[in-house]
Amino acid sequence: MTVLSSMDPMAWFGFALRLLVGGVWIVAGLLKLPDPAGSVRAVRAYQLLPEVLVPAVGYALPIVELLIGLTLVVGLLVRIGAVLSCILFVAFIVGISAAWARGLQIDCGCFGGGGFDARATEKYPWELARDFGLLFASAWLVWRPRSAWALDNRILHYGTNRTLTGEPTR
Amino acid sequence: MTKNQSKATQQANMRSASERAAAVREEYARKERRTRTLLVTAAVVAVLIIVVAVVVAVQAGRDTTGEAGAVPSGAVDTYSVAMGKADAPVQVTVYEDPMCPACGQFEAVSEDTLKKYADSGDVQVRYHMVSFLDTASSTRYSTRAANAVGVVLDTAGSDVAVRFHNALYANQPPEGSAGLSDEQLVALAVKAGADEQSIKGPIADLKFEQWVVNATDAWSSKGYNGTPTVTVNDKKVSFTSAHDLLANTEKAIQDALAK
Repeated sequence: MTVLSSMDPMAWFGFALRLLVGGVWIVAGLLKLPDPAGSVRAVRAYQLLPEVLVPAVGYALPIVELLIGLTLVVGLLVRIGAVLSCILFVAFIVGISAAWARGLQIDCGCFGGGGFDARATEKYPWELARDFGLLFASAWLVWRPRSAWALDNRILHYGTNRTLTGEPTR
Repeated sequence: MTKNQSKATQQANMRSASERAAAVREEYARKERRTRTLLVTAAVVAVLIIVVAVVVAVQAGRDTTGEAGAVPSGAVDTYSVAMGKADAPVQVTVYEDPMCPACGQFEAVSEDTLKKYADSGDVQVRYHMVSFLDTASSTRYSTRAANAVGVVLDTAGSDVAVRFHNALYANQPPEGSAGLSDEQLVALAVKAGADEQSIKGPIADLKFEQWVVNATDAWSSKGYNGTPTVTVNDKKVSFTSAHDLLANTEKAIQDALAK
């Protein structure tokens, strides 16, 4: 009847990925929450969204990031959180690439800040590499959402005769 | 023999009966789990959506951008401190944050040159203060200093405000520090020619804070996102260094005058 075979190394790999991706989201969200006007300006600096949407995205993004981070870390609805995480990383990769391609020199605003940055062009490759890495980590969690020390194990999958990686135990 | 066979068959039948029962129980448990998963997911998602909606509303409330605020008398184009004649053929607007080091460098090289152009009557220089670097000091120095420029402009006029603005950059605090205190701002303003009694209160109370917020939004809404940004007749001047910015600005001024 037990859900976890806690010996399963994949359970701990998933747990580590949750902490990594979730931790990044929590930090990114918390750093942006104190300055809503700055967050709006950082979104505007990408020159991608129509102005009517810019403030709403600027206000919503930090809290959405924080909540995705929290749910991933505690392991609540991991698959849904990981899907949202993937969507956001794809959006950021598109945004940064578009800024780079159009010759905009902006700080990505990933962890607060944003706006003009004279050294932006040298930073873009690293920012993209980081976002791709986190995208793959998130994609793994979509594929294998079950992991150790997750709230999901208690409230969703209790009593299931399946191991973490999804094979029936029978 | 037949008896044995019949016993084996019997056992086989019994086993398949209990297996069928197990399968039914398993099916029932699976359905129950699915319902439970769906309910929990829906409840959690609903709670999270509510949290997002509440926080977005709170953030929108905290961001006062666009709300009406007092504008200092003497402000040109709503947000600028002007130097030079209003009917000058060329307008040079300098967008600056009090905390921005590159603005300090630009001020150090450009003040005399821009004053010369303003005095000649060819150019009106407009200093448009913004405050997007509030997090670079522990005391929201950008907002406090930009507000102080508004207060000095309001009470002592453009000439004193420009001198005070120059003094802010001559005494610019480093990024990450506490910035200049309100007392230091008052002292610099008095030295520039402002009246201590009339500026003390409005500097401490951030009388023109909303003006500073809107000035920052006006700058951002024009598509600018860094400081210093210099425009000549609303055309942005490109640059790689403070000297370069001044040289390109002068070139743009000459081009505009030649037209």
